[in-house]
Amino acid sequence: MKVEQIHKVFDEYRGLSDNKLRPFEQKSERFLESFRGLLDKKNNWAFLLPLRLALEACTHCGTCAEACPTYIGSGRNKIYSPVYRADMLRKIYRRHFTLTGKIFKKLIGAEEITEQDVNAMAEAAYRCSICRRCVLACPFGLDNGLVMREIRKIFAELGIVPEELKEEGVDNQLKYGSAPKIPYEALMNILDFVKGEIEENRKNVNVEIPVDKVGAKYLIINNAGDYISFLDTIRGIVEIMNYVNVDWTLNSPRTGVFDNVNYGLFYSDKDMLRVIHAHLETIKKLKPEYVVVGECGHAYDVLGHLIKDLIPPEERPFKVIHIVELYDKFLKEGKLKLDKDKNIEPVTFHDSCKIGRCGGIYDEPRRVIAASCKDFREMYPNREYNYCCGGGGGFALMSKYNFLDFRMKTYGRLKMQQVKDTGASTLITICANCKRQVLDMISYYNLNINVSGLSEVLANALVY
Amino acid sequence: MNEYLTVFTGIYLPYITLAVFGLAVIYNFFKWMFLPRPVMWAIFPAKKSLVNILFTIAQRIFSLPGPRKFDKLIFTLSWMFHIGLIVSLSLHAKYIFTSHLPYEYEVGTTAGMLAAIGSVGFIIRRYADKRADSHFADYFALILLIITLSLGQYIRMFKMVESTHLWTWVQGILTLNPILPPANILFLMHILFAQIYMMYLPFKTLIHPIAIFYGQKIILDSRHVKG
Ligand code: SF4
Ligand code: SF4
Repeated sequence: MKVEQIHKVFDEYRGLSDNKLRPFEQKSERFLESFRGLLDKKNNWAFLLPLRLALEACTHCGTCAEACPTYIGSGRNKIYSPVYRADMLRKIYRRHFTLTGKIFKKLIGAEEITEQDVNAMAEAAYRCSICRRCVLACPFGLDNGLVMREIRKIFAELGIVPEELKEEGVDNQLKYGSAPKIPYEALMNILDFVKGEIEENRKNVNVEIPVDKVGAKYLIINNAGDYISFLDTIRGIVEIMNYVNVDWTLNSPRTGVFDNVNYGLFYSDKDMLRVIHAHLETIKKLKPEYVVVGECGHAYDVLGHLIKDLIPPEERPFKVIHIVELYDKFLKEGKLKLDKDKNIEPVTFHDSCKIGRCGGIYDEPRRVIAASCKDFREMYPNREYNYCCGGGGGFALMSKYNFLDFRMKTYGRLKMQQVKDTGASTLITICANCKRQVLDMISYYNLNINVSGLSEVLANALVY
Repeated sequence: MNEYLTVFTGIYLPYITLAVFGLAVIYNFFKWMFLPRPVMWAIFPAKKSLVNILFTIAQRIFSLPGPRKFDKLIFTLSWMFHIGLIVSLSLHAKYIFTSHLPYEYEVGTTAGMLAAIGSVGFIIRRYADKRADSHFADYFALILLIITLSLGQYIRMFKMVESTHLWTWVQGILTLNPILPPANILFLMHILFAQIYMMYLPFKTLIHPIAIFYGQKIILDSRHVKG
């Protein structure tokens, strides 16, 4: 579809198809009904308090805007400021769900819902990657990113979710075991190819790739997109696991879900839980001691953190770690002999929001990089203050209409500058969605840099 | 007319104000307390023990790390405004115990000026700010406060009321034996606006010092609900 044919509802971009958004349909009543459900303790206990705080306590000081990569990257366009976007919901909350709003109306910023508001909000919720950087700026710790996620939840109840996340994401994953629908035979061929490549590169090395092994110490579940788009990362993982010679396994569609992603995180607690249960079913069959989340950010947020609050301990008799934590552990145990001279080009590291700010993993990747690369350059800002690359919140998968332009002209622009400033020739990141976004950024802006996972960099430094 | 105003603002209104203020603060504090504890939704680096969480919240309340890093202007204005206001209010609260404190005039005038500059700065910033749309209620509290502060400064600078009279008036209210306050019209306007401000506070402005505890706790607390 050409750009001119897009029905504009919020800005010049569209993330939702007309089929999904149905811009001419009356939706405001159902929107309010679904919103009411979110304000119910039983329905939404997990996120109600931060939602209510963000709806009720914002002073409109605007400080959060200065932390938001969409706002800054867009050249400080007001409609992309966190407070502006969250206010779209706040004014409706005040008017329809508070007594003072019903009495004082516009005087306190309460406004009647309109059909235009509903359409605009549906799109606005997909202009925020839920990176949560703005929370650091707000003196009260209010979370406008969470508000955007809650808006996405309201729309999910109305069936309004980007196809890339719902039909091509969660639904495919639950039906075929992975979002990209990789069949068993294809997966095995890919792994055979990986084995062959490593054995060819490392003479005298015999590579084993255990699949669906029951009772292994480590079950590594990758982002299935890596088997297609970032095979170097898979190769790196396989090589490292063979090198350290521990009891490990991958899994295949034969055991259920072999894709660690959970796109439900981006739009619906219900779908997030459906995927969590599918993961649990699979893990139950394989009985590992550790579930290792391959190079993926949001998967770690769900499996490493949210699952602990949403699922009782007896239903998850295993530990969850990110693969970078495993590498760091191997390093500490002296299981990895590395030669930095094998990675001499300057590298930088991108802290993925879901692994750093929301996951708490900052030092592990830095230790692994420091041990395996000669020239590591921090990008600024970094750690909890790092900018989202723009692949978060499901964006890395969304490119229909002109949405790629949005990703590139806001987040992409900012990240590109940040990377350029380091002078590094390779950007390392441990999240498949970040890799995808950076890859798009490289071709969009014709940049002379590479993007890489940490596994392949580490594997390259191994000394045999 | 002046007499009615004096009786109403100096004898009846203080009790109405205290009741509205107290109940509204309690309501606002507890309305969030009874909501279920959310999933762990921390921003790292976060804390693992309640003592650390509370200590860091206290630290953040005073150091405002977010505004300090991302918006120096609001950080500066916030400091001026809040320190000015807290000192001014404390000097008013002294009437519970005494009629006079050393350097009261100098400290009070400086604090009043700081709070006034802070509030005018907030208003200008709100008006000029392109990041957020402020509505009437956002301005209302600031305007009320500026009027109250200006009247207070004027009264203080020109020593328009007797501090011993103020003391006995406050004592009377606290001991439930109210007496008439000083009948100066500017003073009566000052206490009238101050009391309207106090009744309005918990419904709008005072929500944020309460919210800061809950909001910061959520992002600092890395303990899981189910362990
Ligand atoms: S979560 Fe990230 S993208 Fe969304 S409003 Fe906050 S800073 Fe901006
Ligand atoms: S920083 Fe916090 S209080 Fe200020 S506008 Fe943003 S969300 Fe509202």
